[in-house]
Amino acid sequence: MSEAGVIHDIGYQRYQGPRLGRGALLQAMYVHGLRAAFGLGRSAKSKIFPWGVAGIVLLVAVINAGVRSQTGNWLFDYYQLDDTMSWLVIFFAAIVAPELVSRDIRSGVLPLYFSRPVRAADYVMAKVAALVSAVFLMLGVPQFIMFLTGAFTTKTGMRGVWHELGLLIPGWGYSLLWAFIFASISLLIASLTGKRAFAAGGIVAVFLMTAPIVGVLNVLPSETAHHLSGLASPISLISGVEIWLRDRTDLGLDIGNLGPIYGIEAFCLIAACLLLLLARYRKVASL
Amino acid sequence: MSTVAYITARGLFGRRRVLLLLPLPVLLVGLALICRAYDVDPDQWGQAVVVGLGLAVVLPVTSLIVGTGVLGSEVDDGTIIHILTKPLPRRDIILAKLLVAVGVSAVVSCVPLYVAGVLADGNRFGLALAAAAAIGAVAYSALFLLLSLLTRRPVLLGLVYILVWEGLLGRFVSGTRVLSIEQYVITIADKIAPTDMLPGKVNLTVAIVMSVIFALGGTVYAINRLGSFSMAGETS
Repeated sequence: MSEAGVIHDIGYQRYQGPRLGRGALLQAMYVHGLRAAFGLGRSAKSKIFPWGVAGIVLLVAVINAGVRSQTGNWLFDYYQLDDTMSWLVIFFAAIVAPELVSRDIRSGVLPLYFSRPVRAADYVMAKVAALVSAVFLMLGVPQFIMFLTGAFTTKTGMRGVWHELGLLIPGWGYSLLWAFIFASISLLIASLTGKRAFAAGGIVAVFLMTAPIVGVLNVLPSETAHHLSGLASPISLISGVEIWLRDRTDLGLDIGNLGPIYGIEAFCLIAACLLLLLARYRKVASL
Repeated sequence: MSTVAYITARGLFGRRRVLLLLPLPVLLVGLALICRAYDVDPDQWGQAVVVGLGLAVVLPVTSLIVGTGVLGSEVDDGTIIHILTKPLPRRDIILAKLLVAVGVSAVVSCVPLYVAGVLADGNRFGLALAAAAAIGAVAYSALFLLLSLLTRRPVLLGLVYILVWEGLLGRFVSGTRVLSIEQYVITIADKIAPTDMLPGKVNLTVAIVMSVIFALGGTVYAINRLGSFSMAGETS
């Protein structure tokens, strides 16, 4: 397979125009994935769930913004928005991840994808990027609305806007961490089955069943077990990273001085899931 | 009817994906064993394991996967038409499939819950949990079987019920508890074997009556829906 764009001549239509390379392939798959995530270009029925979830998060942000503009205080700040909406993020990932990868398995189009000059890495990269962007948009846009309220109602002029921006950017970074963790895990699970129903159930089961482990580790009679308990579940892992980076102590999770381990595990978890995804797509069979 | 049940059971167990049902119960029993081995006071871990994992995750998720799988996967494949064209009353088809769904999800969730209950508080608590979970399995299965006939996205709708209605709203808004099967199960188990671990929040009569309504209503309406079932293509 040659490096530049290959257009297979299957005898229907000649093509003499410019040949787009891998970049264009990636972009096309990414845009398609992002549109599919929100059901754009599909029937109204497939828009209900993603837009429903995004709408609820948006509504919460708007209510929050309203409270801020009336009373001057947030109900919850940029970080707490992500934490409060964690169940909706799980649900969103369970809707979108099977939509992105399980459909391709189910309809048997993977061999068609890979008979083009698309590598497994391209496919995985495009799908991961699409899901990360979708989750980030779902959390980031409401955060931006909160920022706009904060910026417009500030009493200290430009300085207040800068201050608010300084809070928004790390908040966005936090959302990005959420997006990466959820995207990598849920795509890995979804890529194992062609049935969207089973993929969605599996994703929710993994995220929900790991949460009680944290609770159990927290009551074991060992200080180290308490500090490491957050590692057992993706959601508490994320809040552990927040505690480490922001020096928080009020989030109900005691990580002691083991903060760096949370950072390392978050990184390794994402990397491992992506590598396993790559390995999964080394060989594709038509079902 | 027994043939339909046999085919359904084979459809559930004949694939590798039945292994997906294993990790949840194993985790439940494993966590209870770990806590027991470290001699932790059951008051501390009982709620997290039995309610947080057992009644809030294992029971509903198992019932969801099985309950929507018995009929939904055949609707998805289009093979449901082979059963529908046989001279069988639709009632028998639904009842056979419901029986299999209830049986499988009851076994998968009751056994680990019984073990966890015994480890937490003794035999009586274990039996109470198992009995309540069996009632819950009937109600959940009927509900999810009905969902798989009402919509082409039964699992997502079922997840909305489990995650948003029972999980998110059940915590903050007390009114939603009256329509939450999880709360019925907790209440019934709590009444059979009273402990501090189970926060039974609805009336026992309400719990029993509503469970029966969920189970019977779901079954009857599912039979009604299958009676006028129309085949459709893959969802877009």
